[in-house]
Amino acid sequence: MKIISIIIKDLKVMFSDKKALAIMILMPMILTAILSMALKGSFSAGSDSDFQPVDIAVVKLYDSREDSERFQSALSNNYFLKEIGEDASKDLMEAGSKLEPEKIFFEDFLESEDVSEFIRCRVEDESKALELLSNKDISAIVLLPSGFEYDMKINLLTPFRNKVEIKVLTHPDSSINGKIVQSVMDAYTNSMSSVIIGKNAIVEAAMANNLGNEAFSSMEDITEDMTDAMKSIKINMEDVVLEGRKPIKSTDYYAVAMMTMFILFAAGQGGRMLLEEKDNLTYQRMSVAGVSKPEILSGKFITVFIIALFQIAVMIIFSDLALKVEWGDPAAVLLISITAAFAVAGLGTFIGAMTYRAGNYKMANAFENVIIQVMALLGGSFFPLDVMPEIMQKLSFLSLNGVALKAYLKILTGYHTEDILTNLLMLGASGAIFILLAVTVLKGEGGKSDVKHNKTKTSQA
Amino acid sequence: MLKVENLYKNFGNVKAVEGISFEVKKGQVFGLLGPNGAGKSTTISIISTLLKPSGGDVLFEGNSVLDNPASIRRKLGVVPQDIALYPTLTGYDNLSFWGSIYGLRGSQLKTRIEDVSDIIGLNGRIKDKVEKYSGGMKRRLNIGAALLHKPELLIMDEPTVGIDTQSRSHILDTVLELNRQGITIIYTSHYMDEVEYLCNELCIMDEGKIIASGTRQELVELVREKTRINIKLNKMDEDVLTVLRGIEGVVDAKKDEDSIALFGSNADVLLADIISRVSEKGWLIETIDVKKPNLKAVFLHLTGKALRD
Repeated sequence: MKIISIIIKDLKVMFSDKKALAIMILMPMILTAILSMALKGSFSAGSDSDFQPVDIAVVKLYDSREDSERFQSALSNNYFLKEIGEDASKDLMEAGSKLEPEKIFFEDFLESEDVSEFIRCRVEDESKALELLSNKDISAIVLLPSGFEYDMKINLLTPFRNKVEIKVLTHPDSSINGKIVQSVMDAYTNSMSSVIIGKNAIVEAAMANNLGNEAFSSMEDITEDMTDAMKSIKINMEDVVLEGRKPIKSTDYYAVAMMTMFILFAAGQGGRMLLEEKDNLTYQRMSVAGVSKPEILSGKFITVFIIALFQIAVMIIFSDLALKVEWGDPAAVLLISITAAFAVAGLGTFIGAMTYRAGNYKMANAFENVIIQVMALLGGSFFPLDVMPEIMQKLSFLSLNGVALKAYLKILTGYHTEDILTNLLMLGASGAIFILLAVTVLKGEGGKSDVKHNKTKTSQA
Repeated sequence: MLKVENLYKNFGNVKAVEGISFEVKKGQVFGLLGPNGAGKSTTISIISTLLKPSGGDVLFEGNSVLDNPASIRRKLGVVPQDIALYPTLTGYDNLSFWGSIYGLRGSQLKTRIEDVSDIIGLNGRIKDKVEKYSGGMKRRLNIGAALLHKPELLIMDEPTVGIDTQSRSHILDTVLELNRQGITIIYTSHYMDEVEYLCNELCIMDEGKIIASGTRQELVELVREKTRINIKLNKMDEDVLTVLRGIEGVVDAKKDEDSIALFGSNADVLLADIISRVSEKGWLIETIDVKKPNLKAVFLHLTGKALRD
């Protein structure tokens, strides 16, 4: 019951500090509104201006010369050529030699003005491409399959249809960029399918009307049709979605980013509470009343936990009502919120123990003025991690806000609880480790003179 | 009720308390008098279980508070030297918190807060934030926070430091009223007049040691020859001085500019003898003023230095 009394009192003390409240509750709302407007362009679901092209590697698993010879051979031996006239057959062979699916894919499609705005490609062999992807030097690999040119020529010049499967490999940490590449490739295959379907319809109609020879003689025009088809591909970022996944808007991102950053200030406040008790001499008074150190420490931990949860709840409600942010599965959001608040409470307790041990507020001040800012930067609270240097992306796991932010974003984009188990585990473990460290620090504290402390109060910086 | 036995406390090489012993009886207002740094607060902190002594023991109702701190905590109220309150909370919230820490709940807590607010005279301002209180009001609330659980023993560590005369007077009256209600009080101060006004029995501490203890009267007896009677007669020559010096009990006499100062041990007897001898001689007394020895004189006598107020 003493712990409950301490918690109620600490919450009253905290809520009586209007300045701290403004920082912890109002500031994230204001910053979310400002940053989401200012950095709208950095998000796939926002405006398409200011977008940095996604680097990809294209791996050619086919051999152009082999495919070309195979196509010529197929035409020579295929029964259907025997059905068409000699002139038409000759025209078709000529069209086959002129048609270059590789050129269409690279020059007319990937290097077109529209697509190159989003995709910047290089051709690599498979092992090199995998290495680049693993190092996050590129966001995706596009695999053009074995027999790509042969199959494309068959599809585009003959009534037959061969399966062409273009694979896209993405890095799990670059999900947004991966989605962009996937969508661009979908746009390519859809466009090609339209041309093939259209061509087949014409050929079938021509053959039905005994005009097959004329139709095959005109196959040369397919090349031009392809170029036109490629030009018609427009990339609309609204389309960049994977099945079951929701794109992230700038308001979504910054609501999460600011919230996960500002709950760290609850840890900062918690970090001051223990020494403030000592400075106010209320710590000693509680000791005289028989309140143990673990009870006082537990009170601080639970207070920070409640405050962090309160901040999260306020921010979720605000962003839902004012910014139309859809947070996703409520149970998963609740789970992340609880583990994030737990981790923050543990951190606050640890800072509190260190501050108490030091006997001054330098530690708490350093945490609020430096460490939170570094964590915010590393964790992606200022700028999305995807646009950050690789080294910083790798260090993001060091920040509690970064781990929580990734978990919230995954749920927000449509992932399930099982996809964020690692994040939940990291947050839970961080909280537990910080509590252990706090207990260890205070165990070592012990016999300092409270009487001496009576005489000289610590000045708060 | 409380026995302090051969108590020592060292902070490194500094000997804060050196082998002190005293006993506080139930119903007393017991004073610990001494200058800053005498070891009063350290002694108080050991009694209230905040500090462990380097040696010795403290017995509360026969139980060692070192072995069993819980034995005293429930029955002990401590008013610390500095204000130990939450300044951003109201007086009511502060009392409510300290009451709840001692296990008071619901209507019992509410009633007790009302009673205590009444005792400390803060009824009208109890819902104000503490940071808006005057120094005296904070001091009174500081006392109130120690009264909620109806302690049997109340330790007050210099509760009137830095406040105005009116608040000080209110606090001293409150202390006497609490004592009348049956609370045993240990009162530390470096204000002589407060200790003289309040305490039945006291210890004088200096540099970690008890240099004298007993009732106020017993202590004053230590300097009884320091009674001073200033007398002004219609005749003020050397003959008068010789006659007055000859009165039994007068140990010294000095002639000032317009009066004669007589020193002796027993003010009442001495005064009667002086008046009688002056009447016999037919001299007229214009003014007479008796200054009995006080604790300030006792302290000066024992330590050779004055207490700082």
